[in-house]
Amino acid sequence: MTTVTRLAVPSALDAASDALLADRAADGDVRAFEVLVRRHGPLMRVHATRILGSNDETDDVVQESFITAWRQLPTLENGAAVKSWLMRICGRKSIDRVRARRDHADITETDAAAPATLTPHHVAETQEQAEALARCLAELPDDQRRCWTLRELGEYSYTDIAEELDLPVSTVRGLLARARKTLLRELEDWR
Amino acid sequence: MWRSTPRSLAEEQSRLSGHTIEDLNDYLDRGRTPSDSSIDDSPACTVALTRLERLRAALRRVDSAAVDREAERTDGWVATIIDSIRLETRAGRRIPLTSDSPVARLALTEGAVIGVLRTAGDGIDGILISRCRLEGDVTEPGEPITVRLDVSVGTDGMNTGESVRDLTARLRAAVYAVLVQQTELTIAAVDITVTDLYLTTALPTSEGEADE
Repeated sequence: MTTVTRLAVPSALDAASDALLADRAADGDVRAFEVLVRRHGPLMRVHATRILGSNDETDDVVQESFITAWRQLPTLENGAAVKSWLMRICGRKSIDRVRARRDHADITETDAAAPATLTPHHVAETQEQAEALARCLAELPDDQRRCWTLRELGEYSYTDIAEELDLPVSTVRGLLARARKTLLRELEDWR
Repeated sequence: MWRSTPRSLAEEQSRLSGHTIEDLNDYLDRGRTPSDSSIDDSPACTVALTRLERLRAALRRVDSAAVDREAERTDGWVATIIDSIRLETRAGRRIPLTSDSPVARLALTEGAVIGVLRTAGDGIDGILISRCRLEGDVTEPGEPITVRLDVSVGTDGMNTGESVRDLTARLRAAVYAVLVQQTELTIAAVDITVTDLYLTTALPTSEGEADE
């Protein structure tokens, strides 16, 4: 067991709005920033893990995202939009990692690693449909899963995804359609 | 693996009264507005829309379970982030303090002063300072300075019979006191704007002590 080094002290800030926390953090309030980290960090971790395809680099990406956010917060005009702003930073950092990885390995990853099985795994009867769906999502081909998470968690438009991933919009639509088809089929199997 | 071939697309369209799953998904994204009778009146489309909505609901559960799992982590990831940003303080301008020694220069940072003001605000129940600005040339001793505060006010912090005006007057006094005590700034005004007002119907409690 690791030692818990910091206990969250309940305070009025915990219930404060994103806008107020963002304003305070922009003014240099570390406590307000910590509330934002606790509030939105978990979603950012899920987002980063899905884009990266594993959680090996999640800690690094999320930490980098928050450091960037801390530096740039004074330039954020609408504090109420801090959540989607953080998700953008996190999405971009994650994609940068994937790119760096790809440049390094010098492979084209489009559709390269379609998992062997897209049909339901042998899952114990007690396992929830949600678990199977989560696995199905995790096992989508990388490019499909990235488009999917940018769309669903990052709340990007098709055009934004296309820009971020440097793909034609039509390709993005196609990738999302394939992902949806696979997920729908998985859902049907669990009827 | 599934591939979108022209034939499968054509099949899909003939099955869904001329629409594709993508059309239907876009329709849901638009919140089914404006309503399209060629979709709404088609039994096949209705079935497909239901499937899509079931998928959305199921995936929302998947996502929120994943987020919950991350939120339960106790490996200190939050502490690591906070420790790293703590090194990057927002100093702002230098606010000089007179020193007894002719060779020593003493100053407070603007960030430190703003931090102290925030703490003063937090000491008052029902008040949270969101933004704090020192207007005027703080680097020049004697220059008149206006403090501008954006605050959120929750009526649950008010004493019995107290108004927003009374509560902000307490804040103004606290801010003024801390500035006089900790800095040598010449305060021209403390301007307070209430940007958020939370009206809670708190029950009157015995804690409504009569201060002042």
